Amino acid sequence: MIDSTLQDALRKKEIWAIGGGKGGIGKSLLTGNIGIYLARLKKRVLLVDADLGGANLHTTLGIGVPDVTLSDFLNRRVDSIQDVIIKTSIPNLSLISGAQDFLDAANPNFAQKTRLLRHLETLDADYVLLDLGAGTSFNILDFFLFSDHGILVVLPEPTAIENAYRFIKSAFYRRFKRVVTNQGIKDLIDAAMDQKNSMGIRTPYDLIEHVKHVEQEVGEILELEIMKFKPKLIVNQVRTKNDIQIGFAMKSACQKYFGINLEYLGYVEYDDCVWQSIRSKRPLTVEYPYSRPSRCIERIVHNLLKKEQLSLSVLY
Amino acid sequence: MIKKIENLNYYELLEVSPRATKQEIHKAYERIRRVYEPNSIALYSLFTPEESAAMHRRIEEAYRTLVYEDNRKRYDASLRARNRLEGEPEVSPPPPNIMPDAVQPAYSQSSESHYIKNAEPDSQVATEHRQDKTSPVDSLVAEFTGPAIKILREQRGLTIRNIADITKVGSRYLEYIEAECFNKLPPRPYLRGFLAIYAKALGCNPERMTNDFMKRYDATQQQKLK
Repeated sequence: MIDSTLQDALRKKEIWAIGGGKGGIGKSLLTGNIGIYLARLKKRVLLVDADLGGANLHTTLGIGVPDVTLSDFLNRRVDSIQDVIIKTSIPNLSLISGAQDFLDAANPNFAQKTRLLRHLETLDADYVLLDLGAGTSFNILDFFLFSDHGILVVLPEPTAIENAYRFIKSAFYRRFKRVVTNQGIKDLIDAAMDQKNSMGIRTPYDLIEHVKHVEQEVGEILELEIMKFKPKLIVNQVRTKNDIQIGFAMKSACQKYFGINLEYLGYVEYDDCVWQSIRSKRPLTVEYPYSRPSRCIERIVHNLLKKEQLSLSVLY
Repeated sequence: MIKKIENLNYYELLEVSPRATKQEIHKAYERIRRVYEPNSIALYSLFTPEESAAMHRRIEEAYRTLVYEDNRKRYDASLRARNRLEGEPEVSPPPPNIMPDAVQPAYSQSSESHYIKNAEPDSQVATEHRQDKTSPVDSLVAEFTGPAIKILREQRGLTIRNIADITKVGSRYLEYIEAECFNKLPPRPYLRGFLAIYAKALGCNPERMTNDFMKRYDATQQQKLK
């Protein structure tokens, strides 16, 4: 069912980034399948494998190693980003594969990165989905902050959750640094990134209070920034109701600890069919369209389009 | 305007609206308590053990304050007073109590006057809300009889079903306890356990409630033997 709010949402171009800090938590799988689902809704979707060091988005779509990749663009072997776009077998869905061959490609320099971001904005598509790599390097954070919607993936495991918080924290400190010009405050933010800093800054609140002492106005700007920053959350490989609950717990903790409004988009149930689809190198939503994980992804896409989030009622 | 955890009011802490009903507060408390329990994997990397213990205490305090009608009224008044000072928009008052007012339990003579004094809503409340932090009512109960427990429960706006959900004790046994159907109750050790956990759910002193009730239970059992 496509109702009117969904239709409205389908009209303009948006860039979504999918990240999460930890590796192997299903970022590429979710990016690929969310893309397929959007393409089925008759939207022109472009998937970009921004995981420059470990690109494998093409595999989750069932495509072999592509001839042209992002590294051709980054090294100016082609003039336009248009030239590295590959058509997939799914109508409306195209792909820019990640850099493969070049050792340097995993670490593009500042000029390469800005050129890439500038070209991404000009692309003609309804949705551009960026599949980010693991970790919290500046390149990954910049892609995340560049997007209209930053989506975080976590597993119901301590390691993944820890990395997700780390990612959130790094992302908004990076965002803070971009809005301030005063070098003294920039240094303060850098110092605050260190959890064991000598100034006793542990939470964003502490940092904002410190900044306000230096310059009241900048502190208020940062406060506004923190309210505008609304990352979204997907909990992958959910096995029990308690696992679903983790999303709500993280939302509550982020609100209380960081003051960040984390939006809980939805969860994806654990099922062996995901593993089977990867083994057979066929996309999950094509191979098993009626499986529970496919259904969950469908619900996530609807929530994204309608700008809604999971309600607590799923728990009762 | 974002707030530090320590500055959140009890409604913000439990993530409910200031107009929330008792049922909603209860539900929210159950959820939030589970979110902030010490071993929660969603939190351990953010909060130190001391912080989560402090959080836990505050959540308990918030629940005990908001779930008792009198305490909540007093707390709301103090919130309004504070907001007026800071020039923030007022917290809207909660809706009138939908639960019927409970009958006075079997309080002793001397403490009854104390109880009535506490119940006066607006006097000197803004300055000293919540004088008694632990359990405001159970020191006023002369003896924990079945009916007294029932009244305590009703004063907190909780149903047998709620208690059964919290304690995981069968609702039938809870009813037998309240009705003092001694011969239908389970053997002594089980009963003690049920009473202790029921007392905790009510925020009463488990030892007192168990001992009082077990005394009554033992008396009837001995009569039966004779």
